[in-house]
Order: sequence, then structure tokens, then C-alpha cells
Amino acid sequence: MSTLVDRAIGDAGLAEVLAARRAGTLGDTEAARLRRADLLALGALADRVRAEEVGDEVIVDTHAGEEEPAGGAGGGHSADGPIVLPPPGRELTGLELLREVAVARVLGPRAARVRVDWTRCGLELAQVALGFGASELAGRIADKRGLPLAEGQTLGVLGKKSRLEPADLVKRRELEGFVRRAGRTPRFDDASESTAAATTPEEATP
Amino acid sequence: MIDAIAEKVRAGERLGFDDGVALFRHPDVVAVGQLANEVRERLHGDRTYFNRNMRIEVTNVCVASCLFCSFAKLEEGAPGAHTMRVEEAWAELEARMDDPPSEIHIVNGLHPGLPFSYYEELLAGFKRIKPDIHMKCFTAVEIHFFAQHYGMTVREVLERLRRAGLDSLPGGGAEIFHPEVRSRISHDKADADEWLEVHRVAHGLGMRTNATMLYGHIETFEHRVDHLLRLRALQDETKGLQAFIPLAFHPDGNGMRNLPAPTAIDALRTVAVSRLLLDQVPHVKAYWVSMTPEVAQIALRFGADDIDGTIVHETIYKAAGSRSPAGLTSDQLVRLIQEAGRVPVERDTLYRVVREHPRAALPEAAVKVRERKAAKHLEVLS
Repeated sequence: MSTLVDRAIGDAGLAEVLAARRAGTLGDTEAARLRRADLLALGALADRVRAEEVGDEVIVDTHAGEEEPAGGAGGGHSADGPIVLPPPGRELTGLELLREVAVARVLGPRAARVRVDWTRCGLELAQVALGFGASELAGRIADKRGLPLAEGQTLGVLGKKSRLEPADLVKRRELEGFVRRAGRTPRFDDASESTAAATTPEEATP
Repeated sequence: MIDAIAEKVRAGERLGFDDGVALFRHPDVVAVGQLANEVRERLHGDRTYFNRNMRIEVTNVCVASCLFCSFAKLEEGAPGAHTMRVEEAWAELEARMDDPPSEIHIVNGLHPGLPFSYYEELLAGFKRIKPDIHMKCFTAVEIHFFAQHYGMTVREVLERLRRAGLDSLPGGGAEIFHPEVRSRISHDKADADEWLEVHRVAHGLGMRTNATMLYGHIETFEHRVDHLLRLRALQDETKGLQAFIPLAFHPDGNGMRNLPAPTAIDALRTVAVSRLLLDQVPHVKAYWVSMTPEVAQIALRFGADDIDGTIVHETIYKAAGSRSPAGLTSDQLVRLIQEAGRVPVERDTLYRVVREHPRAALPEAAVKVRERKAAKHLEVLS
């Protein structure tokens, strides 16, 4: 972590919140300060908490949607299940989603599974949320119109028009790219079928 | 590394090539965004600009064969090719005279069969309908094509178009300047030096222009930084660039359809690095057509201070698969900006303030009414 990030967290008055989070003494004062904080400073704090508590791995669940728990306050969340955002039944703007993700990371249980449902907010925003404390992405793999992929459907391989591969495999590779370009390491919930090795989070790629 | 760059930025030192590449490669995009946001707020505070503009593409017939383009058709009569009669183009403005735009933004294909007088007549007709309308028309690539095709110098082309009503140039056609990329994606139109020269001449005539960069295809971060630094050098020389607009590559229906589109993280990072490197360019736009309204809204925290305009009817990005709506109302733009915690400022093309809106969001009831009205227009990502 850089001095720049430390300074942003400090300037926003969030250093005490970070200290309280580490000490397990977060209270109403810190929560109120968090909710008023500048979005990027809040994101920086949440990202630091995420890095300290759960590391760089991103769980990608492509079978989500059927078994998700009902929403609790601030997000769909059961005792050991993920905090799912956007919360079921609530529409959020992109900025609201990022704030909710960050707040869930900082105020939620230690090492919480903060999950973003890309079917409700779009993959673009879900990717940005990875920089604001999210540790999981979930949703069904679908075609461009949001329809489920048909069994046996194939798609062309990037750069090799004549080569066709199962559509879900191609889509999974795209998902892996999304996670990598956010500087994180993807791990599919069914990791044995993962199509590519994890990439280093040290450097972004164009 | 980013701490050293932050020190330079805060000390007012100019960033170099290596700094730019390091910012693009830095794994923490939020940290890069924070630094860019510092600069943005130093320059503009919370003020965030938009305008009432209208896009018109009068012809998509084009002799160039750019790999990234889904808009152009190579010849008149080809399926999907269209060229408006000037009266049809004027009718687009006449239809909006009850709530007229302050700017018309025209970008076209390089049509080999139209007389130069077509363009002069086109401009003059718009000015007849609304004398104070600002005509921001023809990319540097078009101006260069006109000069070659009609046997004039760039200066002569610009002077004749100015007499007909041209006020400023948009920033399109810049793509990526570096020849390693440009020769592969758009080999048969103005090269980097020719593009820059058109803007240099326009600035010399007292015209303001914008600049763009098409990112997220086959270029590297080094190519992007090279592009930005060439623009910075032009700006040092002329001070004529008003705004920089990063344009995300969209792959549908073009010669690079097998490439993935750049992601939101890349869009935000590119806005941020552009803000940091282009220290003498006053404005950086989050062009919502290119990056979707949702991501553009976030970009207002990553260095962008302008969200472009109402647009009304954009077809170039639509042809390439953009999921953004074709247009937004000025109320929708105001709300996007307010939701981002910024102060909406309606501007004219030259950044003169037309109206400053309140920072606070609209009352809840008004928002709901507007949401219902806007629902069919304001598509968000699926």
C-alpha cells in the first residue's frame, strides 16, 4: 500500500475507522463517519481491509441465482453466506453500489464474503466494485442479450475465427479477463474446470 | 512508484513518459483515480460541465477502411450506406427548435463523390435556421481529406468552411498516433503529423478544437502515453485544445470484432491518467456514449470534469454495439452529475457558463416523475 492511499484515508478522517476495524471496536461513530466519507477514500479503506482480510483472490460463481439467500439489512446475507449486492429488491446507481460494497466490507464481519451480482448491475460495475472491497462475483453466464446459453452452443475463439469452443468456456475466459484487468486473481467456484491460470495482480494489462 | 508520482503532481512538476506508463500499470486503480481527482478538483472544484448538443452524421460513405469502424460504408449504394440531402440535415435542427441545442456536432465518412459546396451549403443552412448555433464539425481527418480531395491547403479549407459557418473542430480521427498501431488500424487516412497539423492550423486561425484517443484494441500502454504526450506537445505550442476525450473501442461489426472491448476499470484508469498527463488541457470528458452513463458517472470521481451533452442521435458507437442510449435529456445529465456529488454546469461549446445548477439532488417526488419519463431512454448495462 502506498503513502498516497494512507494519506487519502487519513485526510478523509478514516484512519481511526481502520484502526477500530483492526481492533474489532467499530461503533456508531465510525459507521457514521464512514457513510459520510468521500467515495474514493472510502473505496481505498475498503480495499485495504479486503487485502488484509481476504487477499487478492476473487471467487467467481457462475451458478448463482437459484440458491441465494434472501436479503437482510444492507444486502442479501445469511450467517455464513455472502453479503450480496445490490441488495435484493433495491435498485442502486453505480455510485451507490460502490459505496454499499465499501461499507459492507468495512462494517461487515471480518473476512466477509462481499459478493456482487453482475446480472443486476452489469459486469462493468461489478468489475469496478472489485476495487471497492468486493471479493466475489456471481451471476449466470449469458449471451449478449442476457439469455442463458444453449447447451452445445459454440463461439469463435478470439483471434481465430475458424476455431469454435463451447460458449460457456469462452465466456468464462472473458470473466477471468475482467478479474485480471482489475488486478486480482480469479478462482471459479468450480476451480477444477478453470480455464486459465491465475495472473499476477501486480500489473494491469491493456 | 505512485508516491513519487504523487509528489511530482503536488509540486506542479510535469509527468514524463515513464510516469504515464507506470500509472497505467499500477495495480490500484482507485489510488490512480484519487490522484487524478486531486488535479480535477484543483482545476474545477465540483463543477461538472455538459451542454445541449446534437449529433448528426450526414454521410457514412467513406473511402477509408479503418479496422475499428462499424459505421462507414465503402460506396454509395452499398447496403446501409446513406447520405443526407442538406435539407434532410437541416430538418433535424428544425424539428428541435422548440428546445434547440446550442451546438451541432457533425462527423462523417470521407465521401469521394460530394462537391465541397455541399459542406459549405450544409453549414450555412444551419446558421440560417439558428444564427447563434455553434457548428462543431468535421474531424481533422475530414479536413485533411477535403484538402487532398478538393486540391486546397488545410488553411484554405478551414477558411472557406469558417466563412460558411464552421466554429470549431471536434477531436475525432486521432485514434492512436503511434505508427506501429496507426498503420495497422487506419492506414489510409491522415497520419499523426497530418492530424496534428490540422489542429495546429485551426488554432492559428483562432479556432478551438478537442482531441480524442481510441483505446482498448491492439495498442499498448506505451502507445497510449505516446499519444497523450504528442497532444501535450501540441497544447504547449498552441493552447488551442479545450478538452480531451478518451474513446473506448467497441468491437461489434468491425474488422477487430474478435477483440474484447475495454473494461470499466480500463476506462476509469484511462480518464485518470489522461487528466494527470495532459496538464495544460483544461477539460477531460467522460463521454457517456462511449463508456455508458453509469461508468461516466463514476469517472467524474476519476479525473473527468465534463460528461459531454445530450447528443440526441448518435450512430457511430451504436453501430459498434454500444449499449448506451442514443441520447439523454439535459435533466438526466443534471441528475447524473448531482448523484455523483458534483455541481452541474451547463456550458456552451467554448465552456462559457449557460446555467449553474444546484448541487443538491432533485426532490424525491420530482425524481420519480422524471424516472418514469426517462425509463424508456435511460438504458443501463444488462
